[in-house]
Amino acid sequence: MSRRALISGLMPFAGLACLVAWPLVFNSPYDLRVFTLVGIYSILVLGYQFIFGHAGALALTQGAFFGIAAYVTGILGAKFGWSFPVTFPLSIVAPVLVAVVVAIPVLRLESHYFALATLGIAQVALLIAIKWESVTGGANGLAGVPGIGAFGLVLPRGYPTLAFVWGIAGVCALVAWWLMRSLRGRAFQLMRTSELAAMSIGLDTARLRFLAFLLSAAFAGIAGALHAHTLRVVSPEVLEFHVMVTCLTMAVIGGRTRVVGAFLGAFLLVQLPEWFRFLEHYYLIAYGGALLAMIIVAPDGLVGLLDRIGARLGLRPRHTLPAPVPLPSAAPEDVTAEVPLLSVNGLTKRFGGVAALEDVSFQVDRGEIVGLIGPNGSGKTTLVNIVTGLTPADAGEVRLMGQDITHDPAFRIVQRGVARTFQLIELVDDMTCLENVAVARLTKLGAGFGRSRSPTEVDAPFGLAKRQAAHLLERLGMLEAAFEPAGNLAQGLRRRLEIARALALEPRLLLLDEPAAGLNEIEQQDLAIRLKGLRTSGLALVVIEHNVPFLMAIADRLVCLNAGRVIAVGKPSDVRADPNVVAAYFGAQPADGLP
Amino acid sequence: MLTLQLLVNGIALGAAYALCALGFVLVLNATGAVNFAQGDMVMAGGFVAIALVSLWPVPGLVLLPAVVLITGLLGLVFSAIGYFPLKSRPPVSVFISTIALGVIFQNVAMVTFGPEPRATPPLLVAGNVDVGGLTVSIQAIAVILIAALLVGGQHVLLMRTRLGQSLRATAQDREMAAALGIRVNLMIALTFALSTALAGVAGLLLANTYFVTPTDGTNYILKAYIAATIGGWGRLHGAIAGAMLIAVFEVMFPALPLLIPVLPVAVHGMFSQTSASIVLYLALLAVLFLRPQGLFGEIAQRRA
Repeated sequence: MSRRALISGLMPFAGLACLVAWPLVFNSPYDLRVFTLVGIYSILVLGYQFIFGHAGALALTQGAFFGIAAYVTGILGAKFGWSFPVTFPLSIVAPVLVAVVVAIPVLRLESHYFALATLGIAQVALLIAIKWESVTGGANGLAGVPGIGAFGLVLPRGYPTLAFVWGIAGVCALVAWWLMRSLRGRAFQLMRTSELAAMSIGLDTARLRFLAFLLSAAFAGIAGALHAHTLRVVSPEVLEFHVMVTCLTMAVIGGRTRVVGAFLGAFLLVQLPEWFRFLEHYYLIAYGGALLAMIIVAPDGLVGLLDRIGARLGLRPRHTLPAPVPLPSAAPEDVTAEVPLLSVNGLTKRFGGVAALEDVSFQVDRGEIVGLIGPNGSGKTTLVNIVTGLTPADAGEVRLMGQDITHDPAFRIVQRGVARTFQLIELVDDMTCLENVAVARLTKLGAGFGRSRSPTEVDAPFGLAKRQAAHLLERLGMLEAAFEPAGNLAQGLRRRLEIARALALEPRLLLLDEPAAGLNEIEQQDLAIRLKGLRTSGLALVVIEHNVPFLMAIADRLVCLNAGRVIAVGKPSDVRADPNVVAAYFGAQPADGLP
Repeated sequence: MLTLQLLVNGIALGAAYALCALGFVLVLNATGAVNFAQGDMVMAGGFVAIALVSLWPVPGLVLLPAVVLITGLLGLVFSAIGYFPLKSRPPVSVFISTIALGVIFQNVAMVTFGPEPRATPPLLVAGNVDVGGLTVSIQAIAVILIAALLVGGQHVLLMRTRLGQSLRATAQDREMAAALGIRVNLMIALTFALSTALAGVAGLLLANTYFVTPTDGTNYILKAYIAATIGGWGRLHGAIAGAMLIAVFEVMFPALPLLIPVLPVAVHGMFSQTSASIVLYLALLAVLFLRPQGLFGEIAQRRA
């Protein structure tokens, strides 16, 4: 083992040792309580990372979930005398239930609506806590919340409570790490970068976001309950906005997606104000200042900053290229070959009063390359969007191997074997090429969310996915760029990378939206050869292009759209010579002006 | 009669909300970003007025130009720190930076003025006038008039002046505006200044009747947000209408037992300021659920 690898390998143990040493060194009852709070806030932030970090949605409910759980523990404990084994699960269930209910109207909203709507919910919780005096104790709150305990025994304050809270924090950290590692974490990264791309690799993004929201609420529930037990009082303060701001600041300062970041953020923001307590309200100003400075200077938080420093020092392990493994060969088809692969019948779509598509019908057979041409605004991209389920059709149907997929959601259509690329390339710029492709293996390798696997097994799909991704990169002639971040690539390679990602879905049909746009002539020729090579495995391609010579070289048939209608279908040479096409697409002049 | 009196109070409150919401939407349209600290700027306006009056005890109306100037300058600083360093990042970054600035404003106010509620001086004089048998506070009328003047002025500025044209062009399509030789960054900075000045005036107008504390911002940003949502995200007139609706509801709702004597006494407790807010937020969620595009549809630009 090299010295560098040794150093980076020892870092986690050094961190753990510091963690254990801290409460042994700073061991006054007050210090121990503060350190217990660090553990509690770590759990809160770990939870917040699911929705804010991984799913990328600025939820402002985390403080409310925390407060609701604290109140459930407080009310059940102080008023009814129930003990920890009963109140703890209920305190987790309560915010999760609230999350389920509010998710229905709120979760599909776009960022600004989402953030403020969640804040509205938090405000309702605060107002109820203040107003419903008979139950919540009103503005004064409830005192006499029991400590953590069962069967008449209560954990004493100090070390026992601290150890218990940190034990739970450790379990939460493991769960968070395990849920978000490997392919799943990359899938979330794709989703928050481009929802469109996430859907295009067959991810049910609405479900992922919903799960992340519930996980956040559950972790907040754990933290809130422990908070009430530790302080032994509950007051409306736990529901106030500053809890939310504190949690957000911890996540931004520590790091939004990494487990270590949650602990780092919680530690700094609980401990620092203790040290700077003499500053009184000024420390809250410093809070705001720190949050502002971090968001401007280091949006990835301290963990991201440390990573970058580590990379400078060469502490990161060198990448070794995984040995390419081909994708499994296509499953035997369940339908007779007489049914066309794709058939589009009478598809109609209007935007306002404008007909984008009018009674469009055509078919695509296995192993066929169909070029889709037409002037700007003739409905080509709309057609692809309807086939892939991104846009609903007004009338008509889309059948894949005889099965009606017209009303299927986008992710299901992908899972049925229809992949696509985008006119404006949708990649995760700061993820390597290899990972950009590997993430698309998620659903096929069954490493999706909700499927439980043992920790040893969960790594296996990621390893395999990377090896298969290496194979696809090789096939597209870009294996040497495997560890390059996608953002560093030139346009031609970005196009190819997107195609590699689409191929990782093992599609039967691949729709390419202007694959040759922005490529120089050599790149175009190279792409043409590679595309022709793809159909040997029975894959069918639909290629939208303005570049007619490019299509003439690869397409078996052309479909020409004009003003939303199919005006010609047939062999490329026939379509090109068709007077209607010449008039609509190439202008009224005869085709002699063409290249 | 009571209904009419309440209505006047509601409109006065709505007029102040409208100024705040208007500023919120102006920035939203110009930058595509949500200014979370807009509510704190209302609070700041209130405290600026209180600080000024402690130096120079004059009626609120005299303070108005100074409040506009100071909060407007604050807006320029605000945009320089909270928006421009982040303008090419995802909108959520600006959202967070404005949360951070809001926290800073709040606690600067806390350190300087303390947590107790304070009141700004009345615009003219305290007291009521009798208008055709209707007793109305002079402050309410003055608030409505000032707000109407400012909304009208803002309309003229945007629609009738060369500067307004540039501001609108920037909001519509930043790249095109830049290509036309408009100084886009200056226009955005001015939009921030205009927006915070409107919020500042709202603070001056509100804090006489409703007082001001350093933590009021959250409440006001939520009101501005609800107004903007009800009125259609990005619609200026919609936001004003939304603000009026909210305020009239807030004033009327706690008074419902007085207005509708047939309501059984047992449910009177349900009608309070607090429950009005709860109903309002629930109504907001209902609007979002049923009509995510707002009551009048949304026009705000989306940043890809």
